[in-house]
Formats: sequence, C-alpha cells, structure tokens
Amino acid sequence: MTERAIPWPMMALAVVGFAYMLLPIFVVVLAGLTAGEFLTFPPEGLSLRWVAAFLQSEKYLSAFFFSFRLALMTMVVATILGTAAALFLARSDVVGKAALRAFFLSPVVLPGVVVGFALFAFFIYSGMGLSRTIWGLWIGHILYSTPYVIGTVGAALAAYDDSLEEAARSLGASPWRAFRKVTLPNISQGIQAGSIFAFIVSFGQFEVSLFLSAPNAEPLPIAMYNSLRYQFDPSAAAAGIFAITLVIASVLLTNRLVNIRRLLERQQGQ
Amino acid sequence: MSFVEFRGVTKSFGRTPAVEQLDVGIAQGEFFSLLGPSGCGKSTTLRMLAGFLAPTTGSIHVHGRDITHLPPEKRDIGIVFQNYAIFPHMNVFDNIAFGLVERGEDAATIRRKVGAALEQVGLAGYDERFERELSGGQKQRVALARVLVIEPEILLLDEPLSALDKKMREEMKFWIKNIQHAIGITTIYVTHDQSEALTMSDRIAVMEKGRVLQIGSPVEIYEQPASRFIAEFIGESNLLPARLARADGTSGAVEVAGAQVPARLAQPGLAAGAEVAFLIRPEQIRLEPWSAEEAPMLTGKVADETYQGALRRYRIDAAGQHLTVEVPNRPELAQLPPGADVQLYWRPESGLALA
Repeated sequence: MTERAIPWPMMALAVVGFAYMLLPIFVVVLAGLTAGEFLTFPPEGLSLRWVAAFLQSEKYLSAFFFSFRLALMTMVVATILGTAAALFLARSDVVGKAALRAFFLSPVVLPGVVVGFALFAFFIYSGMGLSRTIWGLWIGHILYSTPYVIGTVGAALAAYDDSLEEAARSLGASPWRAFRKVTLPNISQGIQAGSIFAFIVSFGQFEVSLFLSAPNAEPLPIAMYNSLRYQFDPSAAAAGIFAITLVIASVLLTNRLVNIRRLLERQQGQ
Repeated sequence: MSFVEFRGVTKSFGRTPAVEQLDVGIAQGEFFSLLGPSGCGKSTTLRMLAGFLAPTTGSIHVHGRDITHLPPEKRDIGIVFQNYAIFPHMNVFDNIAFGLVERGEDAATIRRKVGAALEQVGLAGYDERFERELSGGQKQRVALARVLVIEPEILLLDEPLSALDKKMREEMKFWIKNIQHAIGITTIYVTHDQSEALTMSDRIAVMEKGRVLQIGSPVEIYEQPASRFIAEFIGESNLLPARLARADGTSGAVEVAGAQVPARLAQPGLAAGAEVAFLIRPEQIRLEPWSAEEAPMLTGKVADETYQGALRRYRIDAAGQHLTVEVPNRPELAQLPPGADVQLYWRPESGLALA
C-alpha cells in the first residue's frame, strides 16, 4: 500500500483543528500544576502541590474511584446489551428496524440534560425508589453508553460475512457454539472498542450524573463541578489531570487491542 | 423413492415467491445441477436443503425421512459457499478440523483425518496457513476438504467456481467432478453457467422465476430443450420464427426462411399450421455438403465473418432471417468472403420445432 501525500491546505486545517481541540487539555494540565493559590492561567510557577492535594483529598479520591467502579459496571452491562442489540438489528427482519435503531441510539442524540431530567422525573413519579441512588445512576449511565457499543459492534457485523456462521452450523455446531466459536472471535474487535468507549463515556458523563447522583456518592465530574462552584481551587484541575490520564490510557489500550489498520487491510484483501 | 426429495416446496419472501411448487427427486450418488439466471430460485432451493431457510409450504425428504424442520447441524449435509467462508481466525488445520471437533472426535483421529483430507485436495503442508495467505483455488480446496472430512451424506456446492479466473475454473471443474466421482457422494450444484452444468452433471434442472422448466441429462437439455427460454439459455442457438407444415407424432416439417425443412417436435401435441420457433445450433450447420447427393436445407448470403481461433463464425442472411454458423478452422474447409452465396446443410434430425 502506497502512502498518498496529503495536500498542504488540508494538512494546515487539520493542525489548526487539532490544536483548537487539544488546547483546553493543556490549559487544564498546566493549571493543575500551578504553584499559586488559585486556578489561573497561565500558572504562577510549576509545582506538584495541587496534585499532592488531590491525592490526599478524601473527597476527590473517593469520587475518582467511585467513577472508576461505576464506569466498569456500566461497561459490563452496556457491552452485553449493546452487542445483543447490534446482533438483533443486524439479523432480524422485523418491520420498522430503522426506527428501532434510531430509538436505541437516541440517548446519544438527545441533549444529556433532557435524558438526565427525564430519568430523574421518571424515577420519582414511578416510585421505584431509584432517584438519587447508585442504581438509578447506573441505569442512566448504561442508557447513555450502550449506543456506543451498538455502533461499533454494528460496524463489525456489517463487515462480517454471515455465511461463516452458516458454514459452522452445517458443519455440526449448535447456534450458540457457532456464535461463540466463529462469530464472536470475528466481531470481538468491535466489541472491545465499544466496551472501552462505554467506559470512557461513563467516566466523563456529567449531565445525566448531575440529576441522578446521590449526595454521598458523587462521580468525579460532579465532585469537580461542586468544588469549582464554591472555590476556584486548583485541585479540581489536578483531578482533571488524573481523569485525562485515565482516558488517554484507555484509548491507547483500545489501539493496542483493536488494530484498526490491520482490520482495514484484511477487508481490502478480500 | 428418490434419495433427496422436494415435495411441493414453495418459498415466499413477503409476497414474492422465490421458489414455487418444486417437485424434484435426486438419486443417491447423483451429480445434480440447479441451473438458471440469477434470481431464478436456485440458491433459495439449496439454502432450504441446507437448512438455512424453511419452506413456506411443502416438505423436503432425505432417505424418506422428513428433514424440513431439522436445524442445519442435524442434517449431515455439507455446503461449499460461493465465497468459501473459510474461518479467518483459524488456520487451515483448524478450519478442516472444525466439523470433527463438533462431533467430539479425539485428537489423534482429528489429526489423521485432517491430514488425509489435505492430502486428498492436494494441500499437504498447508496446515498452518491462514485464509489471507491462500489463493482462490486453494481456498476452494480448503472449503471442500472441510466439508468432505465429516463425510456428509450430501454435498452442496453454491456457485463454487464463480470467484475463480477462467483457467482455474476449467481446472477445478474437472477436479471437483473427479473427487465427486471417486467418493460417490450425492452432489447438488448451483450455477448460472450452462457450460459448467453441461460438463459436470448427471442431470440438470433448469430454473426460471422460481419454477423448474426442465429436468434431464446434459444431452437431453441441450438437444431436446423443452422451451425457447431453455434453448436460448443453454449454449448458442439459432431460433427462427417458423410455421409447422407437417406434424407426425414426434417429427414433422416446418416452413422457415422461405423453405420447408424437416424438424423434430419438442412437444408431441403440436399440430400442423402452428406458429413455432425452429431451433438449429450453430455448430450443426455446414457450408459444404457431405456428399454430392445431399440437398441444401437453406440458401443465403454471408453477412459477415468473425475469426475466433478454433472457429470461424459466419453470420448468414437467409431470406431475411439471420443465422449464426460455426465452422471449425480447418484448411480443407472453404473460407467465404462477405456477400458470397452459400448453401446451408445439416442432418434432418438436428432441427427442432418448439412451441
């Protein structure tokens, strides 16, 4: 495969675009490393004092680990539900499948505030005792993360040749064994990518959490928001550094697990 | 009772019938082809036999046993797909071993059988390769080995040659036929390529628009086509508008291109005076008599000539009708320039009148 040269105006546009999107991240990182008393930019000298403050803060650490656990729990359920939904959308021939797909993906399209408020209202009026509980928050995050899994698994299924599973069946495999031994390994990259997306989305979720989180169990974005509302404390930016690090680590992990380039080459080779 | 039987099988997708009232019996050990243009229902028929589709009405029997509602894994039927469907995440060995593993064979038996299967398809030593490292012909051999190793009762082949280039196609045609003959497995072959069907099959079912038009041996299908569609679909044909001048059971004579020529009758019920199509194959026509007494069937003029290496193809204008004539490229046969007057000769039994 020969690399094609990219025209320089496009290159310049890409560089400007990336700079614009990535600059705020540098601002947060530098602000978190300030030596001063307040959240300012540019920072007043560099130090690790706010990082240390974050690591010693009961409030932030518990929020960080709560977010981490919530994201893991969300990831597990969203991966199973999303994979099942993608399989259903790819294989069943029910009427109104397009509408159903749009409905499944709607939580991402609708404003998060609307989804959060709708769930909050629903939990209260239905009297299920889910409002402002961990379980209600979990449901909200699952709702919000599952569409990402449906998207990536759906893409993997679109590239997957159904006759592979039929071949397995006629060679003697039951439906479940044919799925597990042939289909699953061939769509696993889509599932892995989707589950990491689900993790990241849940970890950074704000609007839904704002309505649904319990006062004694705040996810990290809510804790940072609450802290910044009353004091302009650089430890929020330091918390941001840890959140960013975690997200970048998961993206790198995705890249390792899902070799996108090889996936593309394999499809071209056919 | 036949080994494989379709009894009144109809398959509809929504309101459109893909296969209608199919009644076909296939004998044990037979090489049976389903031949037809795309969308004629041949693949749907194959997929119903494999168990991937359920008939809307009717039933399918193997060995007298109703298998209509058995899942694919319980049918003991092997299938080779058009794109071969080699499992991309397994190497050749694991691909071929798949069916044996599902049957719970022990490791030593699997090794021995997979080795023998690779030997049989001429791919010994390819165990460790993956699908992306195989050529089209090799993929096909793996797909076939993967099926044959489980020794199914019936082998289904779904357009297995269509993804190969021409030279490979010719080679694989004879190779598949030889293997089928050697193990004597009942084989159902789906193709839109009439030359594949003619070369390989014991019998052919010609399908169009979900219905079987004719079932017969390659010779019957080619020489006694039951309809104009089959005559045109199988091989090259001259189909000329004609009127039946005389009908006498299975033979008679037609008026065609201003002359009266003898013809066999495709349908026994044809009566004199009927409008028919007269079929004469291009390779049956000679431009020179075999003996001085032989009278020409038609006369005409050469419209043009195409050189095709092994053949010369002439287009002949006979009383306003166009005929194609194929003449072997041999030096002792005359070469005719465009505009030359010609006489056309053929054996009386070569012509066929079709309703």
